[in-house]
Amino acid sequence: MLAQTRHSPHLTRPLRHGGRLLGWLCALLICVAPVPTMAQSFSVEDARTTLEDGVYRLDAHLNFDLPKKVLEALDNGVPLTFALDIEVHRPRRYLWDDSIASLEQRTTLQYFALSDQYLLRNLNSGFEASYSTLASALRALGDIRGLPIIDAKLLRPGKHYMVSIRSYLDLESLPVPLRMRGYISRDWWLTSGWYSWDLGMS
Amino acid sequence: MNTFIAWLRRISTSFIPVALMGIFMLGSLWLLSAATENSAQFGRLHLVLVVINILGLIVLTGLIGVSLLRLIHQYRRSATGSRLTARLVLIFVVMAVTPVSIVFYFSLGFMQQGIDSWFDVRIDSAMTEALELSKSALDMRMRDKLKESRELARQLQQTDDGTLLFRLNELREKSGASELLVAEANGRVIASSSADPSTIIPSLPDEAVLQQARDNKFYIGLAPLRDQGLHTRVAISLEQTDAASEARILIALYPVSERISQMAESVQAAYTKYKELVYLREPLKQTFAFTLFLILLVTLLSAVWAAFFFAQRLVAPIRILAIGTRAVAAGNYHKKLPVTSSDELGSLVQSFSEMTQRIAEAQDQVMRSQRQADRERAYLRAVLGRLSSGVMTLDRDLTVRAVNAAASHILGVNLDCSAGRKLSKLEVDFPEVAQFVQTLLPHLNETETDWREEVSLYGSGGHKIVTCHGTRLPGMEGIPAGYVVVLEDVTELVQAQRDAAWGEVARRLAHEIKNPLTPIQLSAERLRRKYLGRMDAKDAEVLDRSTHTIVQQVQALKEMVQAFSEYARTPQIQLRALSLGELIREVLDLYRGYGTQVSFRFEEQQNLPPVEADPGRLRQLLHNLIRNAIDALAGRGDAQIRITLASRKEGSKGFVELAIEDNGQGIPDDMLDKLFEPYATTKPRGTGLGLAVVKRIVEEHMGSLFAENTPAGARVVVSLPALEQPADNVTQLHPGQAKGR
Repeated sequence: MLAQTRHSPHLTRPLRHGGRLLGWLCALLICVAPVPTMAQSFSVEDARTTLEDGVYRLDAHLNFDLPKKVLEALDNGVPLTFALDIEVHRPRRYLWDDSIASLEQRTTLQYFALSDQYLLRNLNSGFEASYSTLASALRALGDIRGLPIIDAKLLRPGKHYMVSIRSYLDLESLPVPLRMRGYISRDWWLTSGWYSWDLGMS
Repeated sequence: MNTFIAWLRRISTSFIPVALMGIFMLGSLWLLSAATENSAQFGRLHLVLVVINILGLIVLTGLIGVSLLRLIHQYRRSATGSRLTARLVLIFVVMAVTPVSIVFYFSLGFMQQGIDSWFDVRIDSAMTEALELSKSALDMRMRDKLKESRELARQLQQTDDGTLLFRLNELREKSGASELLVAEANGRVIASSSADPSTIIPSLPDEAVLQQARDNKFYIGLAPLRDQGLHTRVAISLEQTDAASEARILIALYPVSERISQMAESVQAAYTKYKELVYLREPLKQTFAFTLFLILLVTLLSAVWAAFFFAQRLVAPIRILAIGTRAVAAGNYHKKLPVTSSDELGSLVQSFSEMTQRIAEAQDQVMRSQRQADRERAYLRAVLGRLSSGVMTLDRDLTVRAVNAAASHILGVNLDCSAGRKLSKLEVDFPEVAQFVQTLLPHLNETETDWREEVSLYGSGGHKIVTCHGTRLPGMEGIPAGYVVVLEDVTELVQAQRDAAWGEVARRLAHEIKNPLTPIQLSAERLRRKYLGRMDAKDAEVLDRSTHTIVQQVQALKEMVQAFSEYARTPQIQLRALSLGELIREVLDLYRGYGTQVSFRFEEQQNLPPVEADPGRLRQLLHNLIRNAIDALAGRGDAQIRITLASRKEGSKGFVELAIEDNGQGIPDDMLDKLFEPYATTKPRGTGLGLAVVKRIVEEHMGSLFAENTPAGARVVVSLPALEQPADNVTQLHPGQAKGR
């Protein structure tokens, strides 16, 4: 959430992830490790929206760079859940931004030893795909094409709208024993930070 | 902040919040342990529960902190009950912490060992080997498929693009592959054939597969296809027909038989799960340990807090009792003690309260009686004090019990402190009352109940006649037997009677004697005149001498009668303020010029107040006294008269005291008490009325006088009331006035 300030113009947007907040609280309370700073191992390389048949679609390219600890867990069969937050909002001068639409895409990545394959499963659509290498799996994960995000009818013409996306590793989906470690270790705090751009209404 | 502390204190001292909080903490702990065990229900709640428990811990710590601070504060102040509370808290804490810590230690050990026991080297290798076995079983089949695919590739080599799809279909049906497709190296599909007619989009493998096929001429691997089970995927690079055309790859998918596929899936699932478990072993231990630690902390802190809570509740009645006892020790019996519990301690407090209440009532009663008695005593004392008669009470063993002020006044000594002394001791302490005591003693016995006696006393105040009326007090309840003596000063009464008698005598004497005196004198003179010339010389001489004697004696008689009548007369006195010293000096001047052998000394105290008096009468008083002194000094060579003037205070009243002292032979003792009565004289001549007149004048001026013998001679002391006013109002006596007398 600290990273939000780097890219996002809307600082006062209400916090949506209670779990994250609690995680922070927990981290502060336990104080076993120094408060982790957000590792910049996820990044949004490029993102844009295109209007196609009255629906805005998202094309984005994200990079996922997993630290060694996370890779180790993955290789040992621990499923990782990646969340992609997509927000359409209208900035307001003196108030927090008006949220128009928000969407969360969750995808699980798991390694299967027998077939030596990495399986990606989109939890929203149920779509599965297997990859023989991690790199190709991550490439496929980061490659978003034509994801519909909002109907143009929902937007009022002449207004200024922004889109923000963020990807992070969902710690709440980890097995409980790993979760505690996840909350307090910076290796597990993986997020891209918010990446925002104009919706580009024409 | 203060209200928060007050709130903490309030909730930390009432029972219901404590119980509710305990139940809540227990519930959240149970949920936490359920969540830690990865229960599906509470898995998502894990973090929330951890946070709730940690918040609970913080609240508990705060409560304990407040209680501890309060206890330390009370301990430092040595507040009542703080030491006992501290001791109880310590005992409770030790009792709770020790077993819980031991249980925690062993639980931790058991838990770690329990988790470790899940894992075994043999299971580990068995799992790996099972996987390897599955892999090699599949490998064998895959190699067959590779061989088949190579054959297919060779057959496709000669096929041109036009018949490619037809050929693919034919080959797929022959080979038993579920899908065959020819693609370019960049992933573009040229032709595909699928056993499932619903599959329109072929499942193109990822780039890595294509890359490997291009580089190594082939690729072989397992592909878990969705809803279709395990497949063998083979990719073979097709030989190029001409250099210009793009390299092509044949990709074939062969289904693995369902039985094998199921077994392989099962082995894989078990292996994956086992591997995950092995990997999660340490984090799992830590999480369990953390949860256990949290439970330990909550339990311990709750126990510590409960220790404070119950210690305070236990000590409260004891503290109240201690405060009550201290109050009673300080003499406060009216302190109300609150009853906080219904157990034995509570009833103890109740009994204590009742006891102190009884004591308080009894004490109040005693105090009321005491006050009543005091009031009565004070009343009696006041009555006795205001009595003009003196009252003296004595024990049976003749110890003085009480003397009133009037008695002291009458006896002329201060007897205020004499209560408790023996009567005989009193006689030693105050010689003035010896006569009085001697008179009393014979009457103070068991037989005489009522008696009356008259005593004459001589003291600084002069001669006094006191009547004593004694009664024996029979012993009554609470009052020992004794005697009461009532004294009355009857001096003035007796004196007045005497004065009245003498006045009457004088008046009658003057009246009865004066009348015949003139005819006697006239007759004697007539006899002389008529017969002196006719008689012979011898007879004439007798007549002359006789008549002369008659006339002379008559004259003396006349003077005497005159003095008596003067004594009997009650003149009108004219009082005015005057300075006594001035008057004395004036009178002394007359005597100095008189040519007597006596020397006069006059001493006057400075700043004497004036007196209110009739100057003529006072002059008479001075003449009488001085003449009396001169007469007493007749025939002495060193005759001296000393006159002193001083002021004296008696209570609130001031007096001017005039003392005339001579160095003559003094007054005979038998004369001393009747000195100022008429016709009491030791002198060969004089009327005997000089000092009686002095006394009368003094009485006219509300003064007092007495005479006494001094080592040198005799002294007469006259006290006149002083006028309380400035001296400049004093009338100056001019010489003419003095001469006029």
